[in-house]
Amino acid sequence: MRHPAEGVLRRLLDEPAGVADADRRHVADCAHCLAELAVVRDDAMLVGAAIADSTGDLDTDAAWRRLPAASAPARVAVPHRSRLRDIVKRPAVAGLAVALVLTGAGTAAANDWLKIFSTERITPVSISAADLVALPDLSAYGDLVISSRPDVHPVADAAAAEAETGIDVPEVAELPRGVSGDPEYQVGGEVVATFTFDATRAGGPLPPPGVDGATVRLVAGPGVAQVWQSDAGIPALVVGRATAPAAFSDGVPFEVLRDHLLSLPGLPDDVGAQLRTFTADGASLPLPVPSNEVRTSTAQVGDATATVLTSRDRALAAVVWVDDGEVTAVAGSLDVDELLAVARGLR
Amino acid sequence: MDLGSAATAVLPTPERRAERDDRKERQPVPGAVRDDLEEVFRRDYRRVVGVAARVLGSRDAAEDVAQEVFLSFGRSTVPAGEATGWLSVAAAHTALNVLRSGRRRTSREEATAASPVAPDAAEEALALEERARVRAALARLPRKQAMALVLRHSGLSYAEVAAALDLSPGSVGTTVRRAESALREELNRHASSG
Repeated sequence: MRHPAEGVLRRLLDEPAGVADADRRHVADCAHCLAELAVVRDDAMLVGAAIADSTGDLDTDAAWRRLPAASAPARVAVPHRSRLRDIVKRPAVAGLAVALVLTGAGTAAANDWLKIFSTERITPVSISAADLVALPDLSAYGDLVISSRPDVHPVADAAAAEAETGIDVPEVAELPRGVSGDPEYQVGGEVVATFTFDATRAGGPLPPPGVDGATVRLVAGPGVAQVWQSDAGIPALVVGRATAPAAFSDGVPFEVLRDHLLSLPGLPDDVGAQLRTFTADGASLPLPVPSNEVRTSTAQVGDATATVLTSRDRALAAVVWVDDGEVTAVAGSLDVDELLAVARGLR
Repeated sequence: MDLGSAATAVLPTPERRAERDDRKERQPVPGAVRDDLEEVFRRDYRRVVGVAARVLGSRDAAEDVAQEVFLSFGRSTVPAGEATGWLSVAAAHTALNVLRSGRRRTSREEATAASPVAPDAAEEALALEERARVRAALARLPRKQAMALVLRHSGLSYAEVAAALDLSPGSVGTTVRRAESALREELNRHASSG
């Protein structure tokens, strides 16, 4: 009989009952295998000692108090915001969410918006154009190929913006007090990324059938933004509209893959937050916002339920909603009531 | 620990997935924390930190991983009976991610540890150096080998390891053996060169 493989010898150390009787009998009578077994045992002990758990006593009470979920009001009060507090750590994310809304709209306009958020009111942050397109960085979980970038640029007027993007540029019926003149128009094309999931690279639990190797296309944009500058040179009002971020899959439903990704331990919070903004039909937009910096509420805009973001000092606000596959944002250094009036009056 | 349930905890079959989705619908509040979190936390905290500590060799880092793992668990719909196995697998996986992301730092630590030290600190430095070397070698192992090694040494059965890693129970021994052999070589290589 052939000598049993090393893996069998290894199991013999831990679970002899799991090894076939014939193999056990062979090893017991075979000097070669007994010598091999001794080597396998020595290695197992050496490595076991090298990766031993040497944590000693632990203070479980203190650890429990440290767990954010233990003290967060998630179970009783405003779970939605608690979840957001958990998943979003970067203060710029509210700006980022608005930027996403303006996607396609763009880098220039969005940068201005972020500048307001970051340099004047909130901890300075550094944010790159790559962040603004808001495609989650899934490169650790498979192959991510960005095949189309937004190429944000100004255009002369609404007609040119429509011609380039195919989006009906929302027309503001009446400008709020203090905002005047003509807007600048910015357009951006589609951002397209193709992601192929690689279960081996991703690690973690076994994915559902069909998920390993599944390919999805994540698309954001095109979009258009109208920006009214204030005297101070910052945007007083931004009205943006873009095709809502969406994901397309020709294999397993996108939600299956997304939920599997979200279930992977170790998925960075910001990637998870971005991932959640992608739906198969582009019908919803769960905005990731830092609740310690920005308040969220909802308001009705036409038939849609809009999310209202307000900075805690009330200096800035945004109204964002998704309707018929398009996401629209009205934002600026104005009162929420003024922004809602603009939002509800868009034609 | 419940052997069968730990194995199935990491196997999201279509049925289980559908069941979970169904449960999600019955939880209208996204992000709500499950009711049994504290009970499971107090029962399994020690074990989860232990699994992560095997990978990271640092109690503080292991406790950080445990926090992350229990947060994920708190938002999950993993059945309570399958929690222990799920938590062990999640702890090993998350700790390996941390280890992998800190590989560069580990190399720096190795360099620092290898630099000349005062004689009275030599023993401590040697222990530090060996620990850093083991972690570096662990980070270089193929993911399945590293997971199998850590889970097996954390007390999971061959059947549980097999289910967690999509291996046949027969090949778990081979995978663990390869991992141990690679780590042993790493340790010997340094022992003979040092």
